[in-house]
Amino acid sequence: MNPILRRSSFFYVTSAITYLAIMGRYLVTRDWTAFEIIPLFMPIWLVSALLASEDGERYAFLRTLPVPDSAVARLKFSLILLSTLFQWTLMTVVAAARMGEGIAGPATMVYLTGICSFGLLAAAAFQIAIWRHGVSRMKPIMIGAIIAGIALAILHLASLRHVQDWPAFSQVGLVEWLGGAPWISIAMLVAIALLAFRAVTRFGIRVKAASEAHL
Amino acid sequence: MDTVLEATDLTKHYEDFSLRGVSLSVRGGSIAGIFGPNAAGKSTLLRMLAGQTPVPAGTLRVLGGSYDTGEQDLKNRIGYVPQEPVFFEEKTVEWHARFAAPYFARWDGAYFFRLLEEFRVNPLKKVKHLSGGQKKLLSLALAFSHGADLLILDEPTAGLDVVHRRSLLDRLRAQAAGGEVTVVVASHITDGLDQIAEDVTFLRDGGVVLQAGADDLMTRWKWILYKDGALDRAVEGRFASVRRTEVGCRGLTNDVAGIRDAIAPALASGDARIDHASLEDILLSFIKGA
Repeated sequence: MNPILRRSSFFYVTSAITYLAIMGRYLVTRDWTAFEIIPLFMPIWLVSALLASEDGERYAFLRTLPVPDSAVARLKFSLILLSTLFQWTLMTVVAAARMGEGIAGPATMVYLTGICSFGLLAAAAFQIAIWRHGVSRMKPIMIGAIIAGIALAILHLASLRHVQDWPAFSQVGLVEWLGGAPWISIAMLVAIALLAFRAVTRFGIRVKAASEAHL
Repeated sequence: MDTVLEATDLTKHYEDFSLRGVSLSVRGGSIAGIFGPNAAGKSTLLRMLAGQTPVPAGTLRVLGGSYDTGEQDLKNRIGYVPQEPVFFEEKTVEWHARFAAPYFARWDGAYFFRLLEEFRVNPLKKVKHLSGGQKKLLSLALAFSHGADLLILDEPTAGLDVVHRRSLLDRLRAQAAGGEVTVVVASHITDGLDQIAEDVTFLRDGGVVLQAGADDLMTRWKWILYKDGALDRAVEGRFASVRRTEVGCRGLTNDVAGIRDAIAPALASGDARIDHASLEDILLSFIKGA
């Protein structure tokens, strides 16, 4: 196995395993709000895995090896994509399995696809920012974003429980409308996310090649 | 002998520093020294030569190729030692060899471990427990162990004790003399590398101030040593630099023939004599001329 892949994938695999634990709740709950809140943790999990992975990375050492920068960049983006696909697939399968029970609907599937698309692009953007500015400068910003994400999820959950008519993300007009034809909407969202991710990847490879933040 | 490295007008701008139009040509099997004071641009130049940082302006050909089209192949043939080597601090020395080995086509693990033994670096030690000098030795061992045709070494002797420094200089000299490798070293001149460099480039403030063969420099540059009070004020201005000593003073010149008329009386009377200048002396005269 490629040593860079083996090393870089460690935190993503760890993150995926811990995410499985959260999915346990997703599988057994009778509470529809779990399907509203748990997807919100996907970007948080992904960005946390990215930060943990990048914090110990030594690009100055990697650059002395005969490995093109583009290959390193592609590998990093591939890990982000695979991690996203894993979490999205897991959530979609569970949500689809619970559809008949009235706690997840077509709009839920669209909603979690949207969240995963956001997480994918956010993580890719953070990855590029790390290459551009260095992990030491990005670390506080990313930790801030993770804390803000957790706070938002908790606040949202509390508001759903205690504030009357507090809007659920999975029930806003656009999501409901897209949920009218869920599989078409999901395919469209996935296609848009992948196209955007491809463009971000290309840009990121150029940033990585020109990066001197690690020197 | 073939040129293995040809750099033309390399230029790079940072907020507080610019490398300005540096050109360099290195013959195969030679040792090229790049010398200069702090912040002269040596490390910036070496990073560009080793493909560690992009070349925004100028052209660079290394081992007949270009990093733009053949980065992987070139890095397989280049051993680069940065000024401050970076490793995975929590990992052992041995781990780094295992990590790097699959990427190099000509990796020689047995040689790597022999070098570690010679350098007295414990392969089972975590990098965070190595001294600065030992990290440098680890970096050198990695650079030497994959059959590199070109070694690009930034301050390779910095932090090394006298035994390892001497051993490294001998190794570089022997390998280059055997035509096995070409070496480009950057350094402050005071660490002995001036004694093995065949071609010398002096950098100051991001630009080249002098480029010549070491033998040529040693032939041209001379000290004129004067007894106390023997140096005439009118003659003093014709030296590149003048240094006071306890027993008199000495003037450095690269044109003994040109000033012979001025120094002839002192030479004839025994009040002055001609002596060799070292590369360090020559570099210092350029730095002080800044």
